Amino acid sequence: MAESTKYQNRIEMLQGTLDMLVLRALQREPMHGYAIAQVIRKRSGEVLTAETGSLYPALHRLERQKWVKSEWKLTESKQRAKYYQLTALGKKQLKTDHERWLQLVRAISAVMEPEVQS
Amino acid sequence: MIRWPWERAKESLSEELETHLQMAIAERIARGEDPSQARTAALREIGNLPLIEDVTRERWGWMRLENLLHDTRYALRQLRRAPAFTATALLTLAFGIGANLGVFQLLYAVILAELPIPHPEEVVRIHAARTPFDQSWTISYPAYQRLRAATPDVPLMATAYAQDATLVIPNRAPIDVSCRLVSDNYFSGLEVNAAAGRMFAQADDLMGQDEWPVVLRYDFARNTFGSAHQAVGTHIFLNKRAFVVIGVAPKRFLGDVPGIAPDMWLPLALQSTGAFAVPWDSLGPGYDVHLGKPWYNQPTIFWLELTARIPADRRAAVLAHWDQAFRNDREVMTEATADPSVKAALLHAKTGIAPLSENGMRKKFTAPLTLLMALSASIFLVGCLNLANLQLARLHARAHELSVRMALGASSGRLIRQIVLEDALLVAGGSVCAFVLGRSASSILVHWASNRNSLFTFDLHPNLPLVALGVGLMLLSLLCFSILPAVIFIRNGVDQTAGSRAKVAGISQTARQRVRSNVLLGAQVSLSLLLSTMSACFAATLVHWETMDVGMDREHVLIVHPELHQPRYTDHSERLPELYSRIQERLQALPGVRSAAVEMCGSIHCGWITALYVHGRNDLTDAQVHGQEDHVGLGFFSTLGIPILRGRDFAASDTDKAQHVAIISRGYARQLFGDADPIGQWVGYSPAPNDHKFLIVGEVADARVNGAEREAPPMIYMSINQNPAPVNSIRVRAVGDPQQLSESVRQALREVDPTLPVSGIVPLATELNGDLGTEKLLARLAGIYASLTLLLVAIGFYGVMSSRTARRMSEFGIRLALGATRRHIQMLIIGQTARILLAGILPGAILAVLAVHIASHLLYGSVTANSLAIIAASLILAFAGFVATFIPAYRAAFADPLESLRSE
Repeated sequence: MAESTKYQNRIEMLQGTLDMLVLRALQREPMHGYAIAQVIRKRSGEVLTAETGSLYPALHRLERQKWVKSEWKLTESKQRAKYYQLTALGKKQLKTDHERWLQLVRAISAVMEPEVQS
Repeated sequence: MIRWPWERAKESLSEELETHLQMAIAERIARGEDPSQARTAALREIGNLPLIEDVTRERWGWMRLENLLHDTRYALRQLRRAPAFTATALLTLAFGIGANLGVFQLLYAVILAELPIPHPEEVVRIHAARTPFDQSWTISYPAYQRLRAATPDVPLMATAYAQDATLVIPNRAPIDVSCRLVSDNYFSGLEVNAAAGRMFAQADDLMGQDEWPVVLRYDFARNTFGSAHQAVGTHIFLNKRAFVVIGVAPKRFLGDVPGIAPDMWLPLALQSTGAFAVPWDSLGPGYDVHLGKPWYNQPTIFWLELTARIPADRRAAVLAHWDQAFRNDREVMTEATADPSVKAALLHAKTGIAPLSENGMRKKFTAPLTLLMALSASIFLVGCLNLANLQLARLHARAHELSVRMALGASSGRLIRQIVLEDALLVAGGSVCAFVLGRSASSILVHWASNRNSLFTFDLHPNLPLVALGVGLMLLSLLCFSILPAVIFIRNGVDQTAGSRAKVAGISQTARQRVRSNVLLGAQVSLSLLLSTMSACFAATLVHWETMDVGMDREHVLIVHPELHQPRYTDHSERLPELYSRIQERLQALPGVRSAAVEMCGSIHCGWITALYVHGRNDLTDAQVHGQEDHVGLGFFSTLGIPILRGRDFAASDTDKAQHVAIISRGYARQLFGDADPIGQWVGYSPAPNDHKFLIVGEVADARVNGAEREAPPMIYMSINQNPAPVNSIRVRAVGDPQQLSESVRQALREVDPTLPVSGIVPLATELNGDLGTEKLLARLAGIYASLTLLLVAIGFYGVMSSRTARRMSEFGIRLALGATRRHIQMLIIGQTARILLAGILPGAILAVLAVHIASHLLYGSVTANSLAIIAASLILAFAGFVATFIPAYRAAFADPLESLRSE
């Protein structure tokens, strides 16, 4: 019980951003969970890690919200893996998430570096 | 094995995570890590896989359902592990709820249900005037026409019950059907539309039709012809007349009198054929009454009951109209009486209305059914108390398991949920049984409540109030025996017992818990005492009516019903006395027959009301002159065992040509002559100058000819030989059991007249008890309830004492080790039972006395006499309680003290 709460907290903390990152990773092509984790790690220059314990709950939640859909396929190395693909709804969500993110970044920058603004 | 969708999804998730792990390992190996180290590192990086699975699965939102399913499976396993408790609970719930549903359905159908027609509150009975003899609200056909003409826009319907008719459908065996004659506007006035075919129209009520129209009751049509639509257009024969089925009434319409559902409705005009016997009243003999001719133009034969549909705001005006139209009939009716006060009352009477709910059925059954409903509620309560107690005992036995589970992190909510779910399954199972039981119960109850000759028919389809009651009882039982005990137990019990195994096994029950279960048991004992007492009183009442002295030899007389109402006999009634004498002679020659005689009345419902005027007396009131008449053959009194007090019996010399004579009963004689000798008095059917037609030659004792439970009526017996007419019964007095004579009597009658059909043979005892419907219903149902509660109380004592002694085993072990005797231990336990019994019996006795007081009009005997039943009921209860306690007491006293101490 106690430990699962801990996990949930971590998910809560990451939730907004993790969802966006996952959706963004899937924008170009369908991917399996491991690949998504890799993409996020590599693109962030190894700064961000999508923990397995957060990634899969997030993926399943996104699937339940119909932002992604999944399908079992074979990888290049002939391994069965579950591939996630962005849905139309997911694309729209990504767009709004992205816009809100940019807004947030701008706002935070404005607060942090007022001299740059003026 | 069922594979739930989430089981498949779960496997898919495991595979997905496994793939992830494999990929992580593969990548590490590709980077050059050692394969065994790669796996460990990858696993460390990923974390707790099962936990991730759990957290991920929660995203699906199925967890609740899954938990519920797990709990259900667990609950079923728990129930299977305690078959005795499960069976007790299922049976208790099935009976407790089923009994309530069964009785309520009857109660609803008899008392609460309204006619299934639009605006039933507008439909009322019209009470114009009471008829002179039967005191019924019937009027003549000409009067009906006058009233109907007075208010053409008000639907005024006339009805009359006809005696059961014989239905013949080509190529089938004849059957008896109940029928009702109704006016052409009966269905249109009630606004009842046909389920198939059409209802009556004005043209259907014309006289002298070759083929008469008939409308069938829905269920009758379905049972007889397969379906309503198939029935329409069928040609049938009723009492040898040709009929065609023109329509079928809707399924829920059973007629306008609750309980009495005619199989078919026929046009009123059918009376003119004389083929259907209809009850009637008239001004009396000598008033231009011709029963053999059509009644439609005879203003002195009263046979039609009136029903009308009048909106409440028009009632006063309509009734005033009718009063005017009926004035002439009232004057005609006064001729039937010589009593000036009755005459005046008749002339001043106003036409009134009565709601349909004011009917005999409701009057007769409201009190018994309400009482039964209360008794049913008590048995439900006893059942719930019993289960609550068993449940508490069961939870105590599971205390250790529950406390360990709580210690391991199970939330109390989840535990309560599991316990309640277990019981919800029981309640659901029990309720299914209850609904089935309730349905069959109400038909059985209807059967018990019915009079011998007329089975009541009610609309027993499930209805909303019934379902609401069922669901309400389900929830109530769940609350009583599951939710409350579980909450109480989890809140207090587990905390106190948690931790120490020794505490659980030892004397862990606090004083409060003991008191709680004692109170529950005591309450059960009280209610059980109430039910047992009532049951004993009702049984005693029934036995009283069934065995009381009726003034006749009820155990040895057989009633044979010959079918003499055929032209062969009625057209030559002068030959009947000779036939009767041959029948008597032949029957009396049979071995085992003491005597035989014919009688006009066939059953306890004969009710032939008459008036006798005494020659030379003009001061008699109606209350004095009214009595009941019967025409009997020679040897009637000795056959029935009615003693002749004064004067003589009818003799062979009393023929049609001789002076007409009569024999009077003690009660009638006292009514007319006081203590004076009635022998030699002259009486007649009407006041002077016609008041000396009969000479009273004998006086006989009173007899309860109208049924065991009705007072002996004032009777005047005439000789059938002086008034030759077809009789309705032949009475045969046997030396031994009369029923064994049935076949030889039938055979003998065939020898006398091979063409004389016999429609039935009934022992007098059965006939006299024919109307004890409510008494039978009460006695039987209360008997069943009493035995059930006794069983429940016994189970309750056994369950509670068993669990209590089981928990005190080590204490008993120590006591025994310290020198207590086995007897001492036994007395400890039995003493507890005795205290609970005593505590329950005292309030129970008060309850029972109150109940006997309230129900006294349904019971024979005084309240004090009936209250004595409490003592008997207490003894039986105490016996049941002690027997149930004896087993655990024995077990406790004879257990090896060493074993009980070691098992700690």
